[in-house]
Amino acid sequence: MLVASLALVGLTTFFVPVLVRYLGRFTGYPLAVIFLISAGLLLAESPAVMSGETVVQSWQWVAAFDVQFTLRLNGLALLFAMLVLGVGALVLSYAPQYLDPSYEVGRLYTVLNLFAAAMLGIVLSGDLILLLVFWEVTTLCSFLLVAGNGTAGAWAATRALVITGIGGLALFGAVVLLAIKTQTTDIATVFAVAPERLSTGDLALIGPLIVLAAFTKSAQLPFHFWLPGAMVAVTPVSAYLHAATLVKAGIYLLLLFSPLFLDMPAWNLTLMAFGLATAVFGAYQALRQRDLKALLAYSTVSQLGTMVALVGVGTSAALAAAALLVVAHALFKATLFMLVGIVDREAGSRDLDELSGLWRAMPVTAALTGLAAMSMAGLPPLVGFVAKEEAFYSFLDTSQASWTQGQEWTGIAAAVIAVLGAALTFAYSARIFGGVFFGPLTQRKLYEPSWLFLAPAFVPAVAGLALGVAPGLLNGIIDRTTVDVGFTMVQSDLSLWHGFSTALILSIIAITLGSILHFRRRWVMRWLGEEPPEPVAPIVFDRIWYGTLRFGAKVGRSAHTTSVGVHLFGVGALLLGLAIVGFAIIPGSGGGLPAMIPGSAQPVDIAILVLLVPAVVFLARTRSAIAALVLAGFVGLIIAVWLLLLGAPDVALTLLLVEFLTVVVAAPVLSRLPVHRDIGRSTTAAISAIVVGIVSGLAVWAFTGRREASNLSEYFLAEAEALTGGTNVVNTILVDFRGLDTLGEVTVLFAAALGLLAATAVTVRARQDALSEVLGAGERTVLRVGARVVIPLLLLAALVLFWRGHDEPGGGFIAGLVAGAAVAVASIAGINLRVPSAGILLSSGLAIALASAFIGPLAGGAALEPIKVDVPVLGSLTSSLIFDLGVLLIVVGLVRAALERLDGLGMDNDPGDAGDDDSGDTRAPANHPTGVAS
Amino acid sequence: MNVDVAFLSTWALPLVFLGPLIAAVITFVIGASAVSRFIGLLVPLGVFAVSIALIIATMDGQVVVSQIAGWPGGIAIAFVGDLFSALMLAVSSLLVFTSMVFSYAAGLGIDRWFVPAVLIMTGGVYGAYATADLFNLFVMVEVALLPSYILMSRSGTLTALRAARLYLIVNLTASTLFLAGLGAVYGVTGTVNMAALAGLGVLPVVGVATGVIVIALSLKAALVPTHSWLPATYPYTSPAVTALFSGLLTKIGVYALVRIISLIYEPGQLVTVIVVIACVASMVIGVLGALGEGTIRGVLTFHMISQVGYILVGVVLAGAVGLAAVVFYLIHHTIVKTSLFLTGGTVEHEEGTGIIRRLGGLARAHPVASLAFLLAALSLIGIPPFSGFWAKLGVLNAAADAGSALVFAAALVVSVGTLGSMLKLGSGVFWGTPKGMREEDEETPSDVTVGPETVGATGVAIDVATAVEAPPVTRWRPLLVIPGLALALVSLGIGLYPEWLLSLADTAGRSLADPAAYVSAVLGGGS
Amino acid sequence: MTLAIAVGLLAAVGTWLVVRGGAVRLILGFILLGHAANLIIISAGGAFRREAPLVDGQLLAENAADPLPQAFVLTAIVITFGVTVYLLSLVARTAKQSSKVEDESIGRIEDPTDGGGRSS
Repeated sequence: MLVASLALVGLTTFFVPVLVRYLGRFTGYPLAVIFLISAGLLLAESPAVMSGETVVQSWQWVAAFDVQFTLRLNGLALLFAMLVLGVGALVLSYAPQYLDPSYEVGRLYTVLNLFAAAMLGIVLSGDLILLLVFWEVTTLCSFLLVAGNGTAGAWAATRALVITGIGGLALFGAVVLLAIKTQTTDIATVFAVAPERLSTGDLALIGPLIVLAAFTKSAQLPFHFWLPGAMVAVTPVSAYLHAATLVKAGIYLLLLFSPLFLDMPAWNLTLMAFGLATAVFGAYQALRQRDLKALLAYSTVSQLGTMVALVGVGTSAALAAAALLVVAHALFKATLFMLVGIVDREAGSRDLDELSGLWRAMPVTAALTGLAAMSMAGLPPLVGFVAKEEAFYSFLDTSQASWTQGQEWTGIAAAVIAVLGAALTFAYSARIFGGVFFGPLTQRKLYEPSWLFLAPAFVPAVAGLALGVAPGLLNGIIDRTTVDVGFTMVQSDLSLWHGFSTALILSIIAITLGSILHFRRRWVMRWLGEEPPEPVAPIVFDRIWYGTLRFGAKVGRSAHTTSVGVHLFGVGALLLGLAIVGFAIIPGSGGGLPAMIPGSAQPVDIAILVLLVPAVVFLARTRSAIAALVLAGFVGLIIAVWLLLLGAPDVALTLLLVEFLTVVVAAPVLSRLPVHRDIGRSTTAAISAIVVGIVSGLAVWAFTGRREASNLSEYFLAEAEALTGGTNVVNTILVDFRGLDTLGEVTVLFAAALGLLAATAVTVRARQDALSEVLGAGERTVLRVGARVVIPLLLLAALVLFWRGHDEPGGGFIAGLVAGAAVAVASIAGINLRVPSAGILLSSGLAIALASAFIGPLAGGAALEPIKVDVPVLGSLTSSLIFDLGVLLIVVGLVRAALERLDGLGMDNDPGDAGDDDSGDTRAPANHPTGVAS
Repeated sequence: MNVDVAFLSTWALPLVFLGPLIAAVITFVIGASAVSRFIGLLVPLGVFAVSIALIIATMDGQVVVSQIAGWPGGIAIAFVGDLFSALMLAVSSLLVFTSMVFSYAAGLGIDRWFVPAVLIMTGGVYGAYATADLFNLFVMVEVALLPSYILMSRSGTLTALRAARLYLIVNLTASTLFLAGLGAVYGVTGTVNMAALAGLGVLPVVGVATGVIVIALSLKAALVPTHSWLPATYPYTSPAVTALFSGLLTKIGVYALVRIISLIYEPGQLVTVIVVIACVASMVIGVLGALGEGTIRGVLTFHMISQVGYILVGVVLAGAVGLAAVVFYLIHHTIVKTSLFLTGGTVEHEEGTGIIRRLGGLARAHPVASLAFLLAALSLIGIPPFSGFWAKLGVLNAAADAGSALVFAAALVVSVGTLGSMLKLGSGVFWGTPKGMREEDEETPSDVTVGPETVGATGVAIDVATAVEAPPVTRWRPLLVIPGLALALVSLGIGLYPEWLLSLADTAGRSLADPAAYVSAVLGGGS
Repeated sequence: MTLAIAVGLLAAVGTWLVVRGGAVRLILGFILLGHAANLIIISAGGAFRREAPLVDGQLLAENAADPLPQAFVLTAIVITFGVTVYLLSLVARTAKQSSKVEDESIGRIEDPTDGGGRSS
């Protein structure tokens, strides 16, 4: 039945839009009926519950975290569920009459219904995670319902969501801690195992989180302000969420968990202190409001404070009183909100100064308001009176609670404060009733609203009276509740008349004080000030909010510079840190570093350094772009030589060619740029340079040259020829063993060429200008002659290098670079070689390389596996040769693209326009998306 | 279910890298046309199919290995499909597909260079997920990066070019540093095979040498203190590209960090402390920056930094539990963040700006997009029942398990900041007053509390809200809205029934914590 | 030792050039950093064996240098070349764009005070 009841309400949410399409604002009625049915389903279980058992239904939900979808119904749950569904039904049957025909009811009803389901879910949850889920959903619904109303709504909703959101996350934390410590998320089990598994320390962590969650949800000081703010929502929402149910979720949470904390004085003290403070503060604010909804909102804050304080007392009587007050408050506060709504609709105002004498026009409304107000004021014979009496009892008996160690003053203090709150409550209740309905009738043409409009308010008002006369009806459920919150069975006898008890005397005092406040209002107000006080808390909230935003902007400022130094600073710091760590931990470990292997440094290296140092230093200091370029080339040359000496001819050759091409490609670009100016501050640059230099030098010293040749090295040197037929081990690694790296690398070249073609455009004239900047006219003629000789040689060399690559230094790359060099020389000299366009070279090259990757699998091997074939004339060939051909083509393609495209810089064309045959139209569309980003 | 593992290792796994490249060549040759756009959608679907097959094959913790070119394990470059990489392949191919749909709708498809570039980039990303070789990882990352440079600078506006230049410099630095680190690692161990390096981090020398690589990768992943470049570059390209990048490129860094740290280092080392500090700093600084930003993508980009903290912190916490949290969070975050970028991108396209204070009240005119944002935002904050909730639960769980109060507290408190910044976006862009009704929100928010006048005003705001129509609005292109919504719904779906993904993440986490299977698969036996 | 000095020097000057800024220094700086990284890798193979790893049948590769780092460096050099070439095109375009005045889109996006802005 539990799940049926919950599912009924929950699933209805999906059909609300449909209903709204046909029924419009009258959708409220069918929804009310559904709530009643759902309530009926739960009541079917009530006999079992009342007889003391807990109805449980459970399904596996998330095994990973051992979370069950558990629903359970006990007295506490039943009490709140009835509240949720009952008041829900009333409010939903009230809404159709209240809502303006033009109001977009679809969203309202959908969210209201979803909220009801979630609220029901909270009270029925038997699992912590499930409880948390529903808890958050209610927060969300509240947000959506408030946010629906314009700017004011949006901002009030934002505040409310931040506050309640904090609470939600606190509950999240509490739930996780509980789950971790107790090894379960089943609420019943948690309580069962709590004594042995939850230490006082754990509770000291969990308690505050739960209190935070409850206080934010139930609008306790200092979080109270979101509730008055939420009054911008339409009245049905205020009546249902922000008076009767949502704000009670906090109370429910405190009641639910109080068994865990009953013997922790900190818990009781906190709840009592904040609760009573909130009770008095709220009542005082209510007394000073002029707008009826604001008044009721603060009154709700005040009543919630009383409930929290009662839970804080921690005696069975107090918890019973709290439960009773929950019921009473739901009844009279929902009534009052609905009636205020009616007045607002009929008389067009909610301002106490504008309203008066309405009883002449609408006596029934007045009567109902009177009933509700009396109940709120705590006058007999209404349920509010009974609840207040019980509350006074409980506060007086605070000293009976274990945690107070019987100190009398606690009870007296609590009672005195409670009386003060009650007095204020009486005063503002009287003011609502008197202010609106008595005095001269100022407005014309006011009539009693239709009975349909009044009925939803009529029911709870009369119920309040009935339960006041015969409070015994509630004995059963209240007793069960107290049992559920951790007490042994007690026979409470609620009744209107307990004889001349202290509580009664307190009531009388409160009422007398209240009436003085009311009837001497004029000088009370002169003393307090006529205008409602400017609320402080929201302003504080906004200060904090915008303060945080501004602080965030400061934190994020570094994101708004393009200075390289700023963005790379972190890396430098980390490297330095790593070096320090290295010094700290490496020496101590097993004798620190192994010894250098002799021969790592040789005399010839010194010679290299002697050449390298000045070149690099000059490079750092020069201000001329060309000089820098030449020096860089020279540095490259030295390193190439060194690599040759270190036994890496292929690398040396590649480096040389790359250097040459880089210079050729870069010269026209860089020479075009202004002689470069300093951007970074020289000190920063110097410091970071020194740090990086030392760190990397140390890294080489510490990490290299201290171990014998690696197994991989031995393997390649020993096996390469046998396995691949190639004697140039480096080349066999490139094309056979690690062909994938090479494939990736040519893909990078392919992409780079793509980028060039995409980014730049050809302008032959520009290339000539560029040249004339680099070379004089005479030099160029010399060059032309030289080129005619050099180019054929280069092309021949390329062919040779390509062919023998597998055995001698060379291979696809080097061949490609040499061929590229030929193309470069040609273009420098302005000779036109008939090479296919870059696009064709590139795509065919990558296509060939990729295709060769599949020869292996097709021949039953692995991807990229080289396959040997014996060709009559040429001897044994491997498919890696095909791969190498692809490599060659791509390299040539890139070189060609670079030469064509980079000299011109496309000075005369738009960027993103490559006017080349194979580049097609790349001009950005009129609404180019990135137009947005800029 | 059983899948032909031999087929997977011979064809499917290599094709994850080769396939997109082949497609790239084809689309490059045929140029911008419906065909190449179609291919651009087909490839991610294909990769998705492969990854599903891989997930099925590796659900039981088995590892599929493809020894490239058939050399013996340890010699060859190995492509590995274990559950973690399979999951990453699945999620990234999924979001590549959605982002492509968005890009086409946004008009990028007619750019002749767009599809080939994206294809090459994704090829590199997939390769990086698959490879088990440090140097090959470097190559794959470069393959992914170069096209990203192209995409980054495509618009040609000065802002875009400056951003692209910075982006290139940062990545060049990271790559150079990675090479240096690789040299150090090879210098001390004599190998660059990740499996062969497993557990060697306990040796201080190896630990420090690997540290260089870790630093290089955290620069790519934008982990504090190397984070600032991310919000300085990502927001300045086209929204579609930002979405692609957020889902793919920083994730390579994160993925590689997870792999390398979990594989090479042993928990409880100094590295644990360092990673925890860096992650918590990322969480906090990222969310603060997000609160401070003034543009939609600015906020979202800073959140990436914060979320990277959330993702990586689990790597060093509580062993398998923490790593499971990492896997789940990584997947959840990739989906949700892309969804947010896509929805935010829709706003930028259709409203012409991403600056929050110039937007407002879009929810009335564009309920679907607003819903998409709302769902994704809630998921990001970690509100149930969205995937983000289970992700955060996992992190908190791991933190509590490891008894790290710092991480636990940070994870909770930072969530408040996330909530705040999402509210800033929500109330600034979607709720609140439409642009046309500016005069209303001249009142400062603090006035909008209960006081006679304002409540009097807002009391009738019921009617105002409906009476005053928002300015005439053009309907947003559905194909821009749908991708973001779809991903948001995926997140909701995961959240409502997290069981399957949680259990997958659990398996993945356990095999990351105990990489024996991975190691023996990569090193053991040839092809 | 000598390699360590060379690497330290190249890395230091490279960093100096990159941080000091300006397009030319940027590119040259990264070229130097590239050299440094490559030397690290070569050195990682061990500089105590300096024969070229060319094995023809009879020659036993006693003193042959470690070929694997060489392959790495070769690949790295070529990749760096590709990136450099693209960086050049980017530099060229940035320079060209900066010379235009009409593009005023930076100030707006990079204004951090936007963040403090009221969001509702």
